[in-house]
Amino acid sequence: MHALIRTAVVLSLAAAGLAACDRKPDLPFAPTDTSLRDPDNPTKVFYTDMARVEHDYPLSREQRLALTPENLKSFTQEEIDQIYGRLTAGPIPNGGHEGDLFFARGEDLKSRLDEIVGGIGGRIADTKVKTLENVGRHLWKGKMFYREEGVLRNFIEDPKSLDALIDNPEAMMKTEIARKGWLGMIDKQTTVYLMFPAKLYCGQSLLDGRRESVIVDYNYGDEIAGYQERPDSLAGRNGLRVRDEVRMVRPGFYLGRAYMNRIFLLNFTVYNEADAKAGEKAFRDGALIKEDCWAGEQVAQAGQN
Amino acid sequence: MQWCRFRLMAALAAIFMFGAAVSGEARAQSMLSGDYVATNAPYTESERAGREVWFFATAFNDRFFTYAYPQRLGAAIDWYKVLAAEHQDQLFQGWGAIPDPDCCIPGEADCPAKSLEQTYGFPYCPGDADLLNHVGKEGYKDPACLFQDGPYNMSTPHGAKDQRQSACDLRFGTSTGALGLRKFPNPRFDAQKWKALNGSLASWDGYRKFLSNDPAKADSRMNRLFDGSIEPPFRIGMACGACHISYKPENPPADPNHPEWENIDGLVGNQYSRISQLLASGMEKHRLEWQLIGWARPGTVDTSALPMDTASNPGTMNAIINFMKRPLHDHEVLKWRKASTCASGADPAVCWCEPGKPGKCWERSLKSEKVAHVLKGGEDSIGYNEAIQRVYFNIGSCAEQCWMNHIPDLRAIDPAQRNYGQTPFDIGQCRRDCASFRAIEDRLDDVVAFFLTARPTDLYKARGMGSERDLEVALEREFGPGAVTQGRKVFAQSCARCHSSQKGPYDNVDFRAVDPADPTLRVDWLGNEEPTLASEVGTYNARALHSNHMESRVWAQYASNTLHQRTADPNLKELLKGNGRGYYRNISLLSVWAHAPFMHNNAVGPEICGKPTDPDYDLYTSPYVDAAGKALANPPACWPFDPSVEGRYRLYKASMEELLNPGSRVPKMFITQDDIIVDVAPELKIGDVTTGLTLKIPKGFPAVALNSLRYKDLMHDMVLLERHGDKLDGKYKGVLTPAQYADLKTGLKELRDRLLREREKAIVDITGDPNTFVQRYYSNVLDRVENKGHRFGEDLSPTDKKALIAFMATL
Repeated sequence: MHALIRTAVVLSLAAAGLAACDRKPDLPFAPTDTSLRDPDNPTKVFYTDMARVEHDYPLSREQRLALTPENLKSFTQEEIDQIYGRLTAGPIPNGGHEGDLFFARGEDLKSRLDEIVGGIGGRIADTKVKTLENVGRHLWKGKMFYREEGVLRNFIEDPKSLDALIDNPEAMMKTEIARKGWLGMIDKQTTVYLMFPAKLYCGQSLLDGRRESVIVDYNYGDEIAGYQERPDSLAGRNGLRVRDEVRMVRPGFYLGRAYMNRIFLLNFTVYNEADAKAGEKAFRDGALIKEDCWAGEQVAQAGQN
Repeated sequence: MQWCRFRLMAALAAIFMFGAAVSGEARAQSMLSGDYVATNAPYTESERAGREVWFFATAFNDRFFTYAYPQRLGAAIDWYKVLAAEHQDQLFQGWGAIPDPDCCIPGEADCPAKSLEQTYGFPYCPGDADLLNHVGKEGYKDPACLFQDGPYNMSTPHGAKDQRQSACDLRFGTSTGALGLRKFPNPRFDAQKWKALNGSLASWDGYRKFLSNDPAKADSRMNRLFDGSIEPPFRIGMACGACHISYKPENPPADPNHPEWENIDGLVGNQYSRISQLLASGMEKHRLEWQLIGWARPGTVDTSALPMDTASNPGTMNAIINFMKRPLHDHEVLKWRKASTCASGADPAVCWCEPGKPGKCWERSLKSEKVAHVLKGGEDSIGYNEAIQRVYFNIGSCAEQCWMNHIPDLRAIDPAQRNYGQTPFDIGQCRRDCASFRAIEDRLDDVVAFFLTARPTDLYKARGMGSERDLEVALEREFGPGAVTQGRKVFAQSCARCHSSQKGPYDNVDFRAVDPADPTLRVDWLGNEEPTLASEVGTYNARALHSNHMESRVWAQYASNTLHQRTADPNLKELLKGNGRGYYRNISLLSVWAHAPFMHNNAVGPEICGKPTDPDYDLYTSPYVDAAGKALANPPACWPFDPSVEGRYRLYKASMEELLNPGSRVPKMFITQDDIIVDVAPELKIGDVTTGLTLKIPKGFPAVALNSLRYKDLMHDMVLLERHGDKLDGKYKGVLTPAQYADLKTGLKELRDRLLREREKAIVDITGDPNTFVQRYYSNVLDRVENKGHRFGEDLSPTDKKALIAFMATL
């Protein structure tokens, strides 16, 4: 009995710790711009220009350090957009990064997804869209960045459910990554399958043009070693035309946006714990952020170089 | 995060406890070309400096054309096809571009470059010795860094100390071989990768060619110009001169493919330019982006295509002449003005001082001013300086720093998404955040000074005659005795009301009077520049519906409050018109003999075309249609580009004949030449989820009907109708009448039902009778015939018409 109570207390403490990490950090955001009105469409919402957001509501290093892959999910899409706009690309990531994805919160979610995935008839695909989201989260575990090669591959832990979509499962590229969770105590490595190769470069953000982002472009993935027509073409130029972009929240932690045919689809994060640990102190102390991409000209605000 | 991680680790622990090399000096353009320098002789130092900025400054738009244009806007330019050394003879005939007299073809005698590999397939131009050494390297020193500034004006509120932005930020680069197009070394270029892709440093084929030769495959419509991982050897930038430089009407080159600097004028406007097709040259015609950009006749460009006001409206590059006498108009102007200080704690959106430059401040304030009406509807209406500077932004200067976030993404169909529609460009923010903005702004007075040097071109001088009288004699020989005198009377009675800047009555007005203080300057602008309803003139109204300068739109800050308050033409057929108002200003007829064809879109008069030797460069498409809007099987032939004095004169006469005899005009309407397939969402099956929507616009559909379609509104309204009727109600409350709104909803429902029914076909035709409602409510332009209207003078007698043609040739 005593042992049971002790276990319950420990689990409660653990849960409390986790919950605190997921709590929405207190960050400043710009309100919508009510000074503008579209005479053809009085209901149109105008967001505050991103340059003004960054100038008037800068993010400090501490505020960026307070962000986690989990607590980012608590922000509205416009808040996520404003966070992203106040980041720079930072160094192009290298190596394996654990991934997570989240769709826009709120009423707009359905129409956003339906119009993309379901086209005009999207309303009939509601449940299937949710299925896609769940499947995506279950399958997609992260991204393997090959910075020097300018290449990226996504890793998937269990490709069995995709068997029907894969030409030759045996030929799939594999790699070892650090195992997450308590199983890592037993076996530090796990095998993941590398799919959906993409080109990795500095390029234009489809949200905030003031500076470059790190681009993950699947449109020409067929030119990359390990490409398999099925399933990799799904993401390519004759498929969903997926293009991701990421900016650095802090070392080892990047916020990303995925687009299909230049239509925004979802947010995602990639996180490398080793990089995060290694870079945290210098980042907190205000060290200059290495910028591999063009960082624009807007005068540095708090939290940036 | 530290504390957070500590607690997380503590919790987990608790569980587990129990469980460049530079070679040579960069030189300014004024030092690169002796022949160019020789043409500086007539100019003051300020005018010379302004001319150089106008001809060569790109203000950092090389990044725009290399990166933002393909990646953010989804369009692509095949620079190699346009500029390759081996295609130089197609420059003028194909693209209407003006060849740079100073460039040479590698390997030709006296050309410093001996092989195309050295120049990556481009011509060799002055300054390239240094530039080519920096391809793939950092450290390039732009020739603009050695630009010799004009004298600093110490009498402004900015004080006596010269604190102009570094001239390096003007960014000249070197010539590409086509005037106005400039190249810069790309430091990200990787020679090995380029060779692997293209087979040779001189080739761009792997980069630019379509990926399949099989038209049945989608890859036949794709190339690698959209592959952002490939870095070309050059970033290409554009100066204002790209559209405005052309041949002097009075001194054209003997061979327009090989001009000399003495033949070249920076302000006359290039009426041969196919800049629109150039901007679309890297795309297959099936792409929506090609359709939005590529339909324009020579000498016109839709400057609102990229900011996307969804009104297809290519307009001419105006001749910039006689500006000293351009009419000015009273406007309420809210804009930034120079100041010497800002009050402590001033809102930087109202008053801002440049850091590190004491006394260099700007204050935004409202004042009554006399301003010119610039652009076809007079939309640029806060002053010449700002109108000039806006040109730079419209060609991509400072695009990333301050433009891209204000213009829509074509594919952003979710209204909750940023970049769904336009928002106003913020001049104050751009000044703060873009050095090239400041570099141009600090020299705008010089550019204006250069503008003010341009004068009308008299036909008698162009013909080498001694006097106006000699020309009149020649004209009367051609048109009959007394023709010029009679034509002046007709002009005074029928035309001067709009086309004179002098006060009526006009019986005794001298329309050709010159300023006694400067006999090169005409007194009469030959246009009053007043805004006139397009419906009153009857002209094709697409350009009049331009809306980029209206409130909440991208160029709102470049329009006066007076312009914002313009009421819309009540006669417009367009129910929803994207904020367009429907006005054209009454334009100048100075040197009209040299500037045919006519109207804002060059549509009245013969079509003109180049005659390239390579058919791949023949960009002419006949716009002639029958009364039903179908392409003519045997349309009138186009007239070959002819910049000679007599060539311009012949074109003038033929255009006047069409202008004065509207019944003889063959209707013109660009229509789609092939089926246009617009992939909204790709057709895919993933498990049991089917995705996809592809819209088809069939061959023979008016291009303007597609290009002016507010398709985002249409798609969103169908979603709202289905899910949020209340939001749809709110959107159109007070915008449409109840009957119109009911009609809209009926149409939307029918269209949605039809799309759902036909969805299995994957490709849905959105044209045809069932969808006339689409045009009724979602097209910003309902006019179709591009050469209609302006029928003034059609009732004149044949003799009077000829007399008018004779007289106007003297203007």
